[in-house]
Amino acid sequence: MHKKLILLLTLLAAIVCGGTTTTLLADEASMAKVQKLIDAADAARKEAASVGGEWRDTGKMIKKAKKLLKKGDYTAAAKLANDAAKQGHLGYEQAMSQKDLKMPSYLHY
Amino acid sequence: MKKVFRTLALLALTCSIGATAQASTPEEDLKAFQDFFAKRFPNVETQDFVNGAYSIDPVGRENWEAIEEFPPYEPFIDDGMTMWETPFANGKTYKDCFPDGPAMKGKYPYWNKEKGMVITLELALNQCREANGEKPLKYKKGPINNIVSYVASESRGQVTNVEIPKDDPRALQAYENGKKFYYARRGQLNFSCSHCHLQNAGMILRTEVLSPAIGHTTHFPVYRSKWGTVGTLHRRFTGCNKQVRAKPFKAHGEEYRNLEYFLTYMSNGLPLNGPGARK
Repeated sequence: MHKKLILLLTLLAAIVCGGTTTTLLADEASMAKVQKLIDAADAARKEAASVGGEWRDTGKMIKKAKKLLKKGDYTAAAKLANDAAKQGHLGYEQAMSQKDLKMPSYLHY
Repeated sequence: MKKVFRTLALLALTCSIGATAQASTPEEDLKAFQDFFAKRFPNVETQDFVNGAYSIDPVGRENWEAIEEFPPYEPFIDDGMTMWETPFANGKTYKDCFPDGPAMKGKYPYWNKEKGMVITLELALNQCREANGEKPLKYKKGPINNIVSYVASESRGQVTNVEIPKDDPRALQAYENGKKFYYARRGQLNFSCSHCHLQNAGMILRTEVLSPAIGHTTHFPVYRSKWGTVGTLHRRFTGCNKQVRAKPFKAHGEEYRNLEYFLTYMSNGLPLNGPGARK
């Protein structure tokens, strides 16, 4: 009876510890992945800023993504980081497309 | 909210029709710019554009004229006069930097050949403070608005006459950069300054009449009811950029100084009437 109980407890402990380790490893992997997304978003924002094309909310979105990452809300953080990266790329493309002066046709010279 | 986005998208689409690139002189730009508004608003006297949206919005004008009976910017002018007369810690005053007195807004912005940059009124005032061992004032909010209100009030009636010196190509470049800024799309809403204040001037965006660009610089600084205080032109630039969801630039940094240079040049010939009162 005693032996059976010890065996059961050992088995239970192994399952719990194994599960925790797996969760921790998964957490670390997710955290690193999201951090990469945030870094990429920040790089895109900086690239847009370098040509004067940064959008109003990109920086705020990145800040919020960092906060969500700290809280452990990886899904929301990743989504926000991806959106911010998109804004960074679009801001850069927009600024480059406006590099040359385009005078409106309704102004008559 | 969806309706607003739809309206803005439609407006952006309309704005995207027909854009051409061409080289032109500042004089040609000025003529084309002022002719555009003369044709767009044939019943408005050119000089009346100094009143912004109220030159084209009779109902708004009535309200504004009532507000002007007790101008909300008056206390700022009084405080600015005190600032002008109060000596710095070293015993000198603003008058030592500006010996011709506070009626000097008509000289700004100007191209400074030695420094190779556009000098705005606010920048000159801060340079004076720094030269006398004082901390520069913040450019958008606070006491800068008092001193600028006083200077603007004393300068009323002076005529906008921005010059682009022909002996320094960097001046023309600064003007061109300001012009490019004005006509460039920016921000998430993909709008340029000209989309609202040139092409769509007089149209209604939500509840507001879009003011014509001509005369925009004459009445600053302005007391805006929205702000509950007086604010500078560069604070307004910041607000406009934010409204199209672009990250604003630094007040009195190169981008906005050049923009002010171009935009003020576009009002050449119009009298100064600041400070103003706006919604």
